[in-house]
Amino acid sequence: MSMTDREFKYLSAFLLKASGIVVNEDKMYLLRSRMQPLLRKYKIASMDELAQQVRSNERGPLAHAVVDAMTTNETLFFRDQYPYDALKTLIFPEIVHSKGVGKRINIWSAASSRGQEGISIALTAMESVPQADRRVRILGTDLSDEALAYANEGLYTQMEVQRGMPVKLLVRFFNQEGTNWRVCPELKAMLTFKKANLVSDQLSGVVRPHGPFDIVFLRNVLIYFTVDERKRVIDRIAANMVKGGYLITGATEVAQGVRSKWEMVTFKNKRLWKLK
Amino acid sequence: MKALVVDDAKVVRVTLGRIMKQIGYEVLEAADGAQALEQMEANPDTAVVMLDWNMPVMNGYDFLVELRGRPEHGSDPKVIMVTTETGMGQMLKALAAGADEYIMKPFDKDMVVSKMEILGLEVAEG
Repeated sequence: MSMTDREFKYLSAFLLKASGIVVNEDKMYLLRSRMQPLLRKYKIASMDELAQQVRSNERGPLAHAVVDAMTTNETLFFRDQYPYDALKTLIFPEIVHSKGVGKRINIWSAASSRGQEGISIALTAMESVPQADRRVRILGTDLSDEALAYANEGLYTQMEVQRGMPVKLLVRFFNQEGTNWRVCPELKAMLTFKKANLVSDQLSGVVRPHGPFDIVFLRNVLIYFTVDERKRVIDRIAANMVKGGYLITGATEVAQGVRSKWEMVTFKNKRLWKLK
Repeated sequence: MKALVVDDAKVVRVTLGRIMKQIGYEVLEAADGAQALEQMEANPDTAVVMLDWNMPVMNGYDFLVELRGRPEHGSDPKVIMVTTETGMGQMLKALAAGADEYIMKPFDKDMVVSKMEILGLEVAEG
């Protein structure tokens, strides 16, 4: 499907402004494929027409849907596994030891998507932190209204719960509703989901009531930002963490530009970041 | 590494067998629990059994109970149920009988790989 250079540049600038996401020409294919369901849903004939409609109302539902479609990624339970192994064998024991029993542990899933990451963290805590249901609180933030609504509902399809989730955890912590599975109330009570934009100066206002954070998951997000944005995002996150807190990025992502603030900790040949 | 695919539907044995071959397994087949027991006797080094529940002659659950009651064969394969029995009660029953993982049909390759990795079983690229 054709898209004029002018309209591509407009959509790209709109997405950068609205979400901090960089859509270069090499990501044009991604933009097109993510917009296809919207074109059908809103009965829009072309990408150019989509751009024009967004331009005419940048705060309207279509503009929201465009941001949603570009920022929502399919997530898996226990994605990549090593962050959860690190929680269980390194991070939780260290925090429990230093804080003592009974103190609150705050965790932030900073691009929570449909909630699988937060739930995976909660499940890991339930298995490795004494009284986790009372002392561990997890904040999930995302930019996508659709993803937040999904996470708040806490109802997952049969397909979703079979990717990454051990069956023994499924039968213990989820209730079956037809062919879907709902997070049990005990686990749900550990989780809160809020809308927040990582590139906005308002970020701290949203997350501060839930912090300061002992652990932050910021996985597979930085790649979408410009180098300057990455630095600003990491700085905002650091400002809401406790000293000695852990930042867990994607395997290939680096706490860029502000390395002096972070100690690199290697776990199973992967890098984790500890705030100095 | 050997994988035993147990299902009375040939189409499932072929589809699942193809996935198991792609991830590096030598695939054995059985169309019911009794055939599966024979395969296990002949191949005690089988690493994983992909097991349907509802089959003629001997169903998957009865096979599982029988298999776990025969440690003398020296065979202790991982067992992944692959079934349309998707009720919580059935899942708990299979786990109590010694199943290690559970796939609710329909399945795809990602799901199979995910369950294999959860159990620490080898998965070859492919």
